[in-house]
Amino acid sequence: MNAPSQLQQPQMYRVKDWMRTHLFNGTGNTILTVLVVLIAGFVLFTVIRFVFIDAEWSVVSVNKRLIFLGRYPKGEEWRLWPPLWAALGLIAAAWGTWSSLSRRDILWLLLAAVFILVFVAHGTEGLLFGGAVVLAAVLYAGVRLSGTDPTMRSRLRLAIIIGWIILLPGTIVIITAFDGVQPALWGGLMLNILLATFGIGFALPLGIALALARSSSLPVVKWFSTAIIEITRGGPLVAWLFIARFVLPAFLPDILNTDVIVNALIIVILFTGAYIAEIVRGGLQSVPPGQREAADALGLSGFNVTVFIILPQALKAVIPALVSQMISLWKDTTLFSILSFTDALGGAKAAFSQAQFVGRQKEALIFIGLIFWAGSFGMSRISRRIEKYLGVGSR
Amino acid sequence: MTDTPSINRVEPIIVCKNVQKHFGEFQALKGINVEVTEGEVVVILGPSGSGKSTFIRTINRLEEHDGGTIVVDGVELDDNVHNIEQIRSEVGMVFQQFNLFPHLSVLRNITLAPQKVRGLSKRDAESEGMQLLERVGIPEQADKFPTQLSGGQQQRVAIARALAMRPKIMLFDEPTSALDPEMIKEVLDVMVELAQSGMTMLVVTHEMGFAREVADRFLFFDAGEIVEEGTPEHFFTNPKEDRTKLFLSQIL
Ligand SMILES: Nc1ncnc2c1ncn2[C@@H]1O[C@H](COP(=O)(O)OP(=O)(O)OP(=O)(O)O)[C@@H](O)[C@H]1O
Ligand SMILES: [Mg+2]
Repeated sequence: MNAPSQLQQPQMYRVKDWMRTHLFNGTGNTILTVLVVLIAGFVLFTVIRFVFIDAEWSVVSVNKRLIFLGRYPKGEEWRLWPPLWAALGLIAAAWGTWSSLSRRDILWLLLAAVFILVFVAHGTEGLLFGGAVVLAAVLYAGVRLSGTDPTMRSRLRLAIIIGWIILLPGTIVIITAFDGVQPALWGGLMLNILLATFGIGFALPLGIALALARSSSLPVVKWFSTAIIEITRGGPLVAWLFIARFVLPAFLPDILNTDVIVNALIIVILFTGAYIAEIVRGGLQSVPPGQREAADALGLSGFNVTVFIILPQALKAVIPALVSQMISLWKDTTLFSILSFTDALGGAKAAFSQAQFVGRQKEALIFIGLIFWAGSFGMSRISRRIEKYLGVGSR
Repeated sequence: MTDTPSINRVEPIIVCKNVQKHFGEFQALKGINVEVTEGEVVVILGPSGSGKSTFIRTINRLEEHDGGTIVVDGVELDDNVHNIEQIRSEVGMVFQQFNLFPHLSVLRNITLAPQKVRGLSKRDAESEGMQLLERVGIPEQADKFPTQLSGGQQQRVAIARALAMRPKIMLFDEPTSALDPEMIKEVLDVMVELAQSGMTMLVVTHEMGFAREVADRFLFFDAGEIVEEGTPEHFFTNPKEDRTKLFLSQIL
């Protein structure tokens, strides 16, 4: 349905007028509008009745820990807060320098924060999470107010990018170092988040490298890359995960064979990398040949032409497809639950398998669904922002 | 021009000997022999498909010739990547479709190659870039993006971008053909100024007024060959070949 256009008339007239022209213009459209309103009303009614009357949310609240952390050992939770703070802070600062929050963004974020504080994080956790929110808000505001001095800003952006690059290895160190928690014990939503972040962090450069290799004029490089891409895409992720779990360990040298999670992660990175490679290759082909000619004619080296002229345009053209791929990776991390890891979905299954929660699959699964939807929705909002910042479509 | 005694003769900056180019079975260049001296302005004319673009693109190896030799400023163009990059950094090119980099600001379009190839610092590259934008008359557009500029402005940025490499030779392939009529003059003015400053130029164009004003020599191409060659005076007063006469009667 169309959004109301910017009409300059007085309020009352505007609403009535808008309704007449957009909802009730003609019999067919009137019937359609009424029908849609009826269906929407019914859905809303069902949802509200379920959420507030029929549902028994204790399956979630009692098993919160299982869903969020899986079998992660008690007493080691402190290790997770600094990374969470850093991540939220970096997102806020990045959003502040490269873009700004629209009113709708603020609404969604407030909703999410309130939801988490009311239903998920209580007591100490509530304080720690609240601290993260305050930190993020302060950073966002600070960055917004720091002004538009270009050198300041480019330094700030560099710092944020370096922060992002350190974040992942830093998180791993904080979780595992000093008698920390080994990957075999990671679980719950935390595992999904780590897998997705790792997957994206490594699959993106891998995918770009594979795409460039496949477009290379050196036949061996080209064939090698094509083989990896086509073989990987030839099987479903589930099958590859089973191979990672049961077949790979028999063949890998001992050094690489330390952890099942690592094996599975390598497979996920390869799998996602192969899809990203094909997306990026599409982007490379979309760059007009005149761009390479102009860059060549300036005497730029092949490497510089690729890095400064071709790749930026290629990646920019395929941001929406790349983000879809990342969202799909984020959701695919739940497949780890079939490899007997207790990720968020595995935790939920364990929860409703307990005797006192028999028949409470609905609540547990809906909660998990909501979490994954929120993650996907957030990524899609961020991607819209990036597109807008880069002015996609306005070549 | 033709009969200068060999003692006074300046070494030509471009020497093409029997240059040939095939696209599959089709022969686009059938043995081109041209010498261009430093500071000379050569205008290339000819009907569509006669090989004008193909020829000037072989000079910076955007097209690879498959017969004969091309020597630019003493360096022969062959498979040696180092030679190719060196020649390209000395030969600027301006395209019909501008080919500005749409993801970079106007100033960045100009400063990128000087920084990466000539090794200038960002600051030096930017101050040179601004001087060039002054020279082509649009310093106020430095921070805009190419799509925000008119065609004439974009082409002037493209000229500035090529000049930023301090080239010894400039190639123009129909630089005004994609422009609306009212923007052609602003680009030609820049090119006239450039020609008068002593730049060696090879220009494919149908702008006869411009050609007459600045050209030292015309080359007339047809079907992959140079059919006739001479001063603008010669072409406008008594062209010899029938094909030249026919072509000139169509465009004048
Ligand atoms: N990449 C290519 N592959 C195959 N044939 C080509 C290619 N480029 C050019 N040709 C052919 O070579 C011939 C010369 O082309 P060229 O572009 O040099 O002509 P031109 O004189 O510049 O013409 P115009 O005035 O239309 O630009 C044409 O017949 C063209 O079809
Ligand atoms: Mg042409």
